[in-house]
Amino acid sequence: MIFYFINKDMPQNRLSISTLLLCITLLLNVQVLNATEVIVNTNTVGQLKDIHELRTIFSLRTLYWSNSERIKVFVLPDDNIVHKAFVKEKLGMFPHQLRRTWDRMTYTGTGQPPVTVDSIAEMIDKIKHTENAIGYIDRRIEDESVHYFDTQ
Amino acid sequence: MSRFIILILSNILCMACLFPLSVCAQEIVSESVIDTPAQEENRLWESVKKTWKDDIQFHGFLSQGLFSSSGNNVYGKSKDSVSAGLTEVGLNVSYQALNNLSFSAQGLYRRAGANTGDAGEATLDFAFFDLNVLNFQGARIGIRGGRIKNPWGLYNETRDVAFTHPTIFLPLAYFERSRTLYLASDGGQLYADYNTSIGDFSFKFNYGWMNADDKELLTAIISDPTASGHLESDPSFVTQLSYEILGGEYVFALSYADLKMRYQAENAGDPYAKMKTEVDTFIISGQYNGEKLSFAGEYSLQWNRFTDIRFGMPDNFPVSEHWYVQAGYRILDNLQTTLRYDSTVQNKNDRYGKGVEAATGGMVPGHLFYAQDIVFGLRWDMTPSWMVRAEYHRVHGASTISLLDNPDPTQIAKNWNIYALQVAFRF
Repeated sequence: MIFYFINKDMPQNRLSISTLLLCITLLLNVQVLNATEVIVNTNTVGQLKDIHELRTIFSLRTLYWSNSERIKVFVLPDDNIVHKAFVKEKLGMFPHQLRRTWDRMTYTGTGQPPVTVDSIAEMIDKIKHTENAIGYIDRRIEDESVHYFDTQ
Repeated sequence: MSRFIILILSNILCMACLFPLSVCAQEIVSESVIDTPAQEENRLWESVKKTWKDDIQFHGFLSQGLFSSSGNNVYGKSKDSVSAGLTEVGLNVSYQALNNLSFSAQGLYRRAGANTGDAGEATLDFAFFDLNVLNFQGARIGIRGGRIKNPWGLYNETRDVAFTHPTIFLPLAYFERSRTLYLASDGGQLYADYNTSIGDFSFKFNYGWMNADDKELLTAIISDPTASGHLESDPSFVTQLSYEILGGEYVFALSYADLKMRYQAENAGDPYAKMKTEVDTFIISGQYNGEKLSFAGEYSLQWNRFTDIRFGMPDNFPVSEHWYVQAGYRILDNLQTTLRYDSTVQNKNDRYGKGVEAATGGMVPGHLFYAQDIVFGLRWDMTPSWMVRAEYHRVHGASTISLLDNPDPTQIAKNWNIYALQVAFRF
């Protein structure tokens, strides 16, 4: 009923297909829906090894990929729900810990903090178009130019 | 020597300003060969924008405090009144010139009671180059040159940035009157970082000249606000080793400083002309940053050597002791309470200043030599950029007060209160 309401302008045959697809996607993603995903630019695929390295990258203690290129880190604002979930799930930290580290570097001139983007869409765009970039989103999307890092 | 340092700093700044231009120019030259003029213009703009956005960052902060107190003044005339005496404004720029070379500088405007006057003071807070010399797996070593912030305890490097410490007033170990002395080194820093699966180590060693030219500090040492000369630093060092577990959930640090300075007379016959001071001090720090709960504690001993102060005045070698314990609780992600017990004594062998009080026949009261402070604070981070906080202090003793804000020693109260409010912004 809800699907019909949303898609009432669509032809009936396409509606049933899209409804079916949506249901399948939802079922497949039940466990993934609330999980965040680490994404990297195409040219950095395979260079990230483990969760400890992920933590040191976002804490700005690891500054270079193994091919010696400088890592470009993108984040969402501190109070963003996806940011909070990512920091907890993927880094095993709390947002205020990262903020403490970034502030100390920013206001002593000893490091540049990550670039803050305003939305998931902007995050995907930045990761796709910035070499050596790393960031995170709230769910997997189908896009050839975005690559995922799977934490074990 | 100070002229030499100023020359070096101004050269570094010029380099930092000119470098982005040269990089832009290189990109333009390499691309204009194949492009049509319209495309060229576009590319030019894109490359300028790219360089600007990717490699140069601007950040800043500002804060304004409001104080009311009983007994003694803090940051202006706050006693039985209200003072808006603490304003801090900072703006910094950093430029990542090469993968392993960067430049950064920060200007600071500060208005803090009688010490800076109503007009306040503008200073160059830091300005240096940072060269990452060696990079191994999980480790890096580098050098910085210019004016570099001093790593001292948990808060000294960013002591003027309200967002980076939990309460408006820093713990007493971060003495307001020796603030300028500890702030930064004009010289060099060697640094090393080592990341392991059991925690991350950082080491910093600053060597150079400190800024000892502070009226508050001089007055505290010689107890004579009419002296015409000023203090000058001799080569000194500050060093810190820190160890962080789980990305800073647990932080441990040991800092050590050896600071040397001497009196520079303006006139012949100045009675303090030969005065020298040396401060050897360590501070040991521990911090826990949990999801809701946080704890911090620091302990510091400070060996002071005041020699040849004035004819007829004996050399003085007091050992000062400062420590505090602090607990915080996050009621919400953006609402935090803090409770702290703080203690400082100027001379471990005369904890309550009884000796000085007896020797001066009560002219100099004993409570000028110690302070104990119980603090309760509430901080609300309205957005990631805006913060407001309030706190109450119950203070016993007055060793940390500004003698410029409280010029009459006989009027200084032993038991007093401070109420403070602060609004802060950062980007």
